[in-house]
Amino acid sequence: MKLFQTIKLLLPALIPSWDFFESIAPSPRIQFSLLNSENQTNKPWIEFRPRPQSVSFITMLKRMLWNPCWNESLFLVSCAERIVGNSSSELILHSEQEILKRIKNDLVQKHQSLTATHLQFRLLFVQRQDQELTEDIAFYSRIQTFASEESR
Amino acid sequence: MNLEAAIRLTEILMGFAFVQQSIEHITVFNNERRLFLARLILALLLISGIQTAWVSFLLLLLGLAILNIFQGPYNGGADRMSLLILFCLCLAHLAPTPRWQELAFGYLALQLILSYLISGWVKLVNPEWRNGQALQDVFQFSAYPVSESLRKLSLSPRLLLLMSWWVILFELLFPLALISNKSLIVVLIIAAIFHLANAFLFGLNRFFWIWIAAYPSIIWFQFRIFS
Repeated sequence: MKLFQTIKLLLPALIPSWDFFESIAPSPRIQFSLLNSENQTNKPWIEFRPRPQSVSFITMLKRMLWNPCWNESLFLVSCAERIVGNSSSELILHSEQEILKRIKNDLVQKHQSLTATHLQFRLLFVQRQDQELTEDIAFYSRIQTFASEESR
Repeated sequence: MNLEAAIRLTEILMGFAFVQQSIEHITVFNNERRLFLARLILALLLISGIQTAWVSFLLLLLGLAILNIFQGPYNGGADRMSLLILFCLCLAHLAPTPRWQELAFGYLALQLILSYLISGWVKLVNPEWRNGQALQDVFQFSAYPVSESLRKLSLSPRLLLLMSWWVILFELLFPLALISNKSLIVVLIIAAIFHLANAFLFGLNRFFWIWIAAYPSIIWFQFRIFS
């Protein structure tokens, strides 16, 4: 079963479709909410890793060699697309876990003293309809406690 | 460039791309760190030319383990190209005769040509690419632009229409570069600048390094077929 799964994952690399940017699909945004209990109803949603206003040329140059945060964000975009695509329940669960794990890790790194006990994220998809941009909420994750599942 | 030199240069460039990718993962989660630390060591061995056949094979196995951990590629096309190069290198090392070795490495060159040609074709048949709307969408709301200020480019439709057609024509006409060694080198330099621009604007740094790692295959292919 594992071998079959690996072959399934490998085949698109060996016989690639090369259809980069064939069409511009609705684009995911990840928002998270820090909660004090599992039953909290009033949820303030915060965008995960909002883009900076600008990035200097020197930073762009440095990022040619060191760009882990952005590459992780691109992986999370893939996870978000897998969640709303025609993915298996295992893949959806895996993607949900990956997003939760990485938001949690990011928060723990940036804020040493978090008072919230629970975390949830939601996925918004931005798309153009005629000339207007629209945002649709496509997914709410399960609520997870901050108790660490994986150490760094 | 002969086959042996092209394979060696591919190993060095790919090894460098793997070192860059692996270092980015070393500061993260334990399960990733272990795999990417192993990948870093193997990539350094590959660059230094020690037991390259075995090292390539181990890197391919590691690539499959990484594919499983992330349930697919971590960085889309860049990871897929990494696996494709590794697979072709392993086949070239395993090949029983020089002819089979050429076929294995030639497959990489062929896929590199297709990577531009098909990308150009799928854009050409999409009316939104032809009228510049697709590129406007990329800048306006896709997840790729690295800063908010870059999104303002979506307000320059004429520029984006021009850029769209430049990308479509460049990708579609890429195979014509094979006519001569000089034209190929010029076109590969332009292609590398194109990937560099994508890395700057969209943060696709891994694409840049891994795509140029495949360039020796097409330089050898051009020499083998057309010279």
